[in-house]
Amino acid sequence: MLRVESVSVRRGRTMTLEDVSLSLEPGRTLAVVGESGAGKSTLIAAVLGFLRPWRGEISWAGAPVRDCAPSLVMQEPRAAFNPTLTLRRSVMEPVAARRPPPLDRMERLCRGLELTHDLLDRRPLEVSIGQAQRLGLLRALIAAPPLVLFDEPLSALDAFTQKRTARLIADLQAEEGFAALIVTHDLGYACAYADDIAVLRSGRIEELTRPKDFIASPRTAYGRKLRDAAVALGAFERAA
Amino acid sequence: MTLSVSGLGAVRSGRTILHPTSLEIASGDRIGLVGASGSGKSTLGHALIDDLRAQGRGVAHVPQSPDEALDPLRSLEFHWNEAELALKAPPDADRRKRLLSALKIAGGDLGKRPWGWSRGMQQRFVIAMALIGSPELIVLDEPTSALDPVIAADTMDLLESHLNGTGTATLLITHDLGLAARRVSRLMVMDEGRVVEAASTQDLLECPRTGAAKSLCAHRSWLAVPC
Ligand SMILES: Nc1ncnc2c1ncn2[C@@H]1O[C@H](COP(=O)(O)OP(=O)(O)OP(=O)(O)O)[C@@H](O)[C@H]1O
Ligand SMILES: [Mg+2]
Repeated sequence: MLRVESVSVRRGRTMTLEDVSLSLEPGRTLAVVGESGAGKSTLIAAVLGFLRPWRGEISWAGAPVRDCAPSLVMQEPRAAFNPTLTLRRSVMEPVAARRPPPLDRMERLCRGLELTHDLLDRRPLEVSIGQAQRLGLLRALIAAPPLVLFDEPLSALDAFTQKRTARLIADLQAEEGFAALIVTHDLGYACAYADDIAVLRSGRIEELTRPKDFIASPRTAYGRKLRDAAVALGAFERAA
Repeated sequence: MTLSVSGLGAVRSGRTILHPTSLEIASGDRIGLVGASGSGKSTLGHALIDDLRAQGRGVAHVPQSPDEALDPLRSLEFHWNEAELALKAPPDADRRKRLLSALKIAGGDLGKRPWGWSRGMQQRFVIAMALIGSPELIVLDEPTSALDPVIAADTMDLLESHLNGTGTATLLITHDLGLAARRVSRLMVMDEGRVVEAASTQDLLECPRTGAAKSLCAHRSWLAVPC
């Protein structure tokens, strides 16, 4: 289980995370929402051990998180790939040492993510950004990690592909039981798939609630603003 | 004055990724371009911009990824100055301050390189640069993809109020039909490198005709989770 206990992170003189505590069990999904610059990416970097907290502890099953070989889906889809390598090489990198390579899993993921083999033989600049985002998901999931951190994983996908992809992630999670921490601006997605929602603002967790409760009655002024803006952008609109 | 292009196309590695496409965009138009991931939206955006620039028309571009617009080795300040120069707009510190504060990024350090800012800030910086001059068209490729809903809505409002009455047309490329529904009056749908449907926003949302449009409309909501 992932435990983040009273974590503060300082960058220069500013506190980018302040007294953040949360926990995440295998098989569960936590969505972290909040404004740009609230510290969402800092939280991911701290969980992965790229940043040492100034105070507090972060662990997975009592050990450093990195020991469990977590994977990350990066916000900038193309940045995840070496521009000179074929996408197949980059995608298979997490399982490069496995004999035999998990080709069945690869097939299944490719089908679910609608990635053709012809796409895998190209290089990052030769695919669309939404395709690069799905390739990033493929790479993050290929090794069946116990913890996956998703930074805006569906932001470049169309409505239908978003929903299929979210379904695929949830199905895999139900079978394999990985813990998912998802940073997203998409409250519709967060509310449809997360077990809990954390609202991060200026480095602090302002509320940590069930999606249903959050949609019905956000507890903070910022939470309300966020919900109302999502409504205004059409996130909860019903199909015609 | 109407912008018009005909016979746009693109072939990469022997594949046709954009079939011959013609478009007319009237002054002040608000057009949305939607379609599945990989359907060719960004490709059409690029082809349109290249063609119009070759005709000598003023077009600004907010690319899907800020990386495309920002050189990682140059400061944000440098980018701003270059943009003013390219648009033959005399340097104007007030305008810069106004645009950056309207987009709520006035607090960012312009001496930094792009990666010193968050992706959402970079995206807004690129939008601000597009507003420096008075282009005839701004192509916005997924302009809110890195923004939280509050800032996304504010950013779209700001764009609208800034451009209202100026004659600048916008082409909004987006995967988000909910966003498009509120911001554009005409929608075009792409599928496999072709514009397969074009109609007023209301007609398209109420009775989509092609499979591509139907699929986008049917899956708008997270509440009706499919599969
Ligand atoms: N250099 C290339 N070689 C081969 N195919 C390419 C190349 N560049 C782009 N493509 C293909 O062209 C198609 C259209 O790409 P484009 O980036 O225009 O899509 P898009 O609609 O903008 O997608 P997204 O919503 O994912 O950004 C995609 O299938 C992509 O893989
Ligand atoms: Mg695109």
